[in-house]
Amino acid sequence: MNILNKSIGRFPLGIWIAIIALLSLFLAWFMQAYSLLNWDIAVDIGFQNERFTGDAVERTWAHESWGVAVADMLWAMPLGIVALIGLLRKRSYGFAAGLMELSIGVYFPLVFAFQRWMSNPETVTIAIFLWTIPSLLGIIGLWANREYFEKY
Amino acid sequence: MGTRYLRSALYLSAHAIYAQLQMALRPHSQRSKNILIGKGEDWRDKTHFRTANGLAWADLMIWLPLLAVGSIGVLQSQIWGYVLWAASGVVSVYISIVLWFSEREYVYPSCGPLAYYTYFWGFFVYWGIAVVAYALLRLADIPF
Repeated sequence: MNILNKSIGRFPLGIWIAIIALLSLFLAWFMQAYSLLNWDIAVDIGFQNERFTGDAVERTWAHESWGVAVADMLWAMPLGIVALIGLLRKRSYGFAAGLMELSIGVYFPLVFAFQRWMSNPETVTIAIFLWTIPSLLGIIGLWANREYFEKY
Repeated sequence: MGTRYLRSALYLSAHAIYAQLQMALRPHSQRSKNILIGKGEDWRDKTHFRTANGLAWADLMIWLPLLAVGSIGVLQSQIWGYVLWAASGVVSVYISIVLWFSEREYVYPSCGPLAYYTYFWGFFVYWGIAVVAYALLRLADIPF
């Protein structure tokens, strides 16, 4: 038996990892939601990097980051809610939605990394450790437990 | 039936794969600009170039493997194939939403509605939604 299939309390370890990765993504959605409500304070806190009041390049990055925040609220966050509910209820839709959500969790920080490594290396590093790596581990954890969901 | 959908999906994806390969391998070439932002057009600024470059690499590292491995699974009628297809579709829709808010004001006026709502932007949304819907129907054991 794979260590990821080992039961720890309510779920196997692999599913716990996926749940933790999802919760980590929810932290990102919270930061994005807060940013949309008050962009300037979000920049002051460090949730975002660029203001709409800076030079042309800064405004362009801010505009792009705003688009990402909206996409997170419209698409990624609802999918994450479905995934979390499904996983907690041990349903197969949670497995499918979880893999989809965690794919976004791997994908977008990589886009960000290739875009901003030169200008924001600290933010990129945080994003990789906070979202890409946990999401990747979550995908592996879910996949190792795919048969677990066939029972439900 | 799955094979027919697979052929359609791969045919429609070929344009995106070619464009992103071109961008990753020859980022500064005129051909990359012609494909990604329109014939004879130039990057608006470094921001624009770096956004396109980031998307190209992330697509090749995440989206393309999901599509390629998922397609093998779909050909074998394996559940994991549909799950991977759905994940690639979700990523496609996600980035399309980002581009709608961050790029539309530049791209739409220069290429017009027909090009914009078909191969420049629309395809990625239609393909993403279609593949997610199809994969979910198959996962729910609903023949389609």
